[in-house]
Amino acid sequence: MTDRTDPPNNASAQADDELLPCGRLLSRTWDDWERQTDDPHLRSCPHCRQAVHGLDDLESVVRGLREETDSSAAGYDTEPLTRRIMDVVRLELRPGRPLPLGEPAEDLWIMEAVAARALRAAAETVPGVRAGSCRLRDGGDGGGDDGTVEVRLDIHAPADAPLPELAARVRERVWEAADRELGMGVTAVDIRVTDLVPSSMPDDQEGGTA
Amino acid sequence: MVADTDDALFAVRAAEGDEDAFAVLVQRHAPALIRLATSLLGTAAEAEDAVQDAFLSAWRRLPEFQGRSAFGTWMYRIVTNRCLNVLRSRRPVASLEAADDVPAAEHTTSPARIAEGRGAVRELREALDLLSAEQRACWVLRELDGRSYEFVADAVGISQEAVRARVFRARRSLTQALGAWR
Repeated sequence: MTDRTDPPNNASAQADDELLPCGRLLSRTWDDWERQTDDPHLRSCPHCRQAVHGLDDLESVVRGLREETDSSAAGYDTEPLTRRIMDVVRLELRPGRPLPLGEPAEDLWIMEAVAARALRAAAETVPGVRAGSCRLRDGGDGGGDDGTVEVRLDIHAPADAPLPELAARVRERVWEAADRELGMGVTAVDIRVTDLVPSSMPDDQEGGTA
Repeated sequence: MVADTDDALFAVRAAEGDEDAFAVLVQRHAPALIRLATSLLGTAAEAEDAVQDAFLSAWRRLPEFQGRSAFGTWMYRIVTNRCLNVLRSRRPVASLEAADDVPAAEHTTSPARIAEGRGAVRELREALDLLSAEQRACWVLRELDGRSYEFVADAVGISQEAVRARVFRARRSLTQALGAWR
């Protein structure tokens, strides 16, 4: 499928395999070596041992290559690469739809992705909660354009927390943030717990690894 | 496992347009992916370009990603495929020219020491350039990166049988190339 350079695979390894003087195929001997098969023939046969010796030699050079790669990777500074990538990403943002803020007459809008970020952050002020998907839909009856929105938020909750209380607290924080920080009219906050995570995380790891 | 769960959250956020979440994923995964691309392509500059392209492609495709696999595995696959395309577009390297760069081995070192030395590693790098794109990719993922045949088959998008055949051919070429040097 992705194979344009090599011949077709139907012949597998046999196509350019080699029959050792002892009657074994080189591919089998190497396969046994890789699986670390305990085969008396492999230990006693000079041809097989020679064949395996070649792989051992290769392996020792591979180790050297791996060490070189490791040491150059260890000193690698990801900062410039991350900056270059994010510079392009910021030219290709996906901000989502504009959502209404304040009174209908105000003509004030916020992009969905920006509002979602603020609401996720609010949800994560509840200890142990991590926020995932945050979708904002037009609120009002029948999804009408009345300047309100419905929030649907996925969270990972700590495994030992009573979920109804936890969800209530998250809902409250999200509501507060929407109201006070954004000035957004929210008609509903649906919380969906998508994962329970062990709450053994140390307290100082507030807000995860971000 | 906790890291994977965390990745999944950031991937969902990034899919919904949160570029800060994507920046976290880039920082978190770039070192391993640079290492992979450097092994596959042989030079740091090409590796950086491949990883950058892979992340940009990921940013564009994230809305359809849906978390079917771990984000790291997904990126590993994208980088592998990006590198495969780069390898395929390369013109065959003239091995004779490259051979001139190999420094003369010191006479006092034993063959075993030579095998572990930089000269042999350089020779291996050059021998890798002579492999086909698919052989090189399969061999690097299997041997250098220590992945299972199953994993390699998934990352490269071919059957395990095909991966085994390519790793075998690569080993033959490489053992021969290194044997010829000594």
